[in-house]
Amino acid sequence: MLDPVSAISSVSGLEPLQPLAQAGKPGEFQSVLEGTIQKLEATNNDAADAVQKFLTGENEELHTTVLAAQKAEIAFDLGLQVRNKIVSAYQEIMRMQM
Amino acid sequence: MSLFSVLSVSASGMAAQRTRAELLVENIANSETTRTAEGGPYRRKDAIFSSEPVSSAFASELDAQLNGSVTGVKVAGISVDNSEPELRYMPGHPDADADGYVAMPRVNPAEDMVDLMGASRSYQANVSAMSAVKDMIQHSIDLLR
Amino acid sequence: MLDRVTDSLERYMDVLSMRQKVVASNIANADTPGFKTKDLDFQSEFASALSGSQPQASEVAGLPVKNDGNNVSLDREARLLAENAMRFNLASSLIREQIRMVKEAIQEGKSS
Repeated sequence: MLDPVSAISSVSGLEPLQPLAQAGKPGEFQSVLEGTIQKLEATNNDAADAVQKFLTGENEELHTTVLAAQKAEIAFDLGLQVRNKIVSAYQEIMRMQM
Repeated sequence: MSLFSVLSVSASGMAAQRTRAELLVENIANSETTRTAEGGPYRRKDAIFSSEPVSSAFASELDAQLNGSVTGVKVAGISVDNSEPELRYMPGHPDADADGYVAMPRVNPAEDMVDLMGASRSYQANVSAMSAVKDMIQHSIDLLR
Repeated sequence: MLDRVTDSLERYMDVLSMRQKVVASNIANADTPGFKTKDLDFQSEFASALSGSQPQASEVAGLPVKNDGNNVSLDREARLLAENAMRFNLASSLIREQIRMVKEAIQEGKSS
């Protein structure tokens, strides 16, 4: 039987919302982005090293140098496209009416 | 010295080899010539090459030419063989002297033929050099694209 | 990224073009009596990179000398000609790629 007038009791069983990214615990998406950028930079450094080795005559294998350079270029192009997609997705979200 | 003046170096090589080839051809053609305008048999000619810096309209006089290591070539002169002509015993020949000997040019056609092949090969090498340098200039220009 | 690699590549192309000039000079003088083949010490010229000093070409030892004192070997020079040209080609392609990447980063990949 419903109690006609009774104090509104607090709804039990609810817990306060956890903030999505607590200090010290990075969000999953952010870490993915950072990982990609680091990989891109590593590929770039590999290519720079390979080119430097070729120029100083340390490693005369042409295909190693050229392939490393190509990998860096592809990683860069890919990274650029991913970045553009992220930016446009962000902008679209920002445009959403709340 | 820029790459452009190097084209002059190769061009000088081509010109010198061509002159040399012309003289060799003249020698071969005249290997049996007993009568010349100067009198007497044909005298063998040879080109004298000498190393010389090239000048170009675009280069400045102060262009350091790699401490003088990059030089072109020039035909400094044409040497005429003034040694005694070869005397061959041909009594019936119209130019025979009293003893029946004819003064023939001191030209060995086989030797000059081989030299001609050498000149042709050197000419080709200069053409290749010019072509390679031209490509390098073109690649540098392509960096703009 | 752009600076280190591009500077090295530029210096590489500089030394290569100097070497090619010396090769062209050797070829032009292949029949000059008394002429001695010249060359650059490539790696040491390349390593003395940023000094911008005049490269030193010196005579090559160990080449057979012909009767007139000339020691130019057309085979050696032809080989060097081809090698320098190909290396120059490679270096210029790599530089072009570096430049393209920076330009793309500037334009943010948008083709307008």
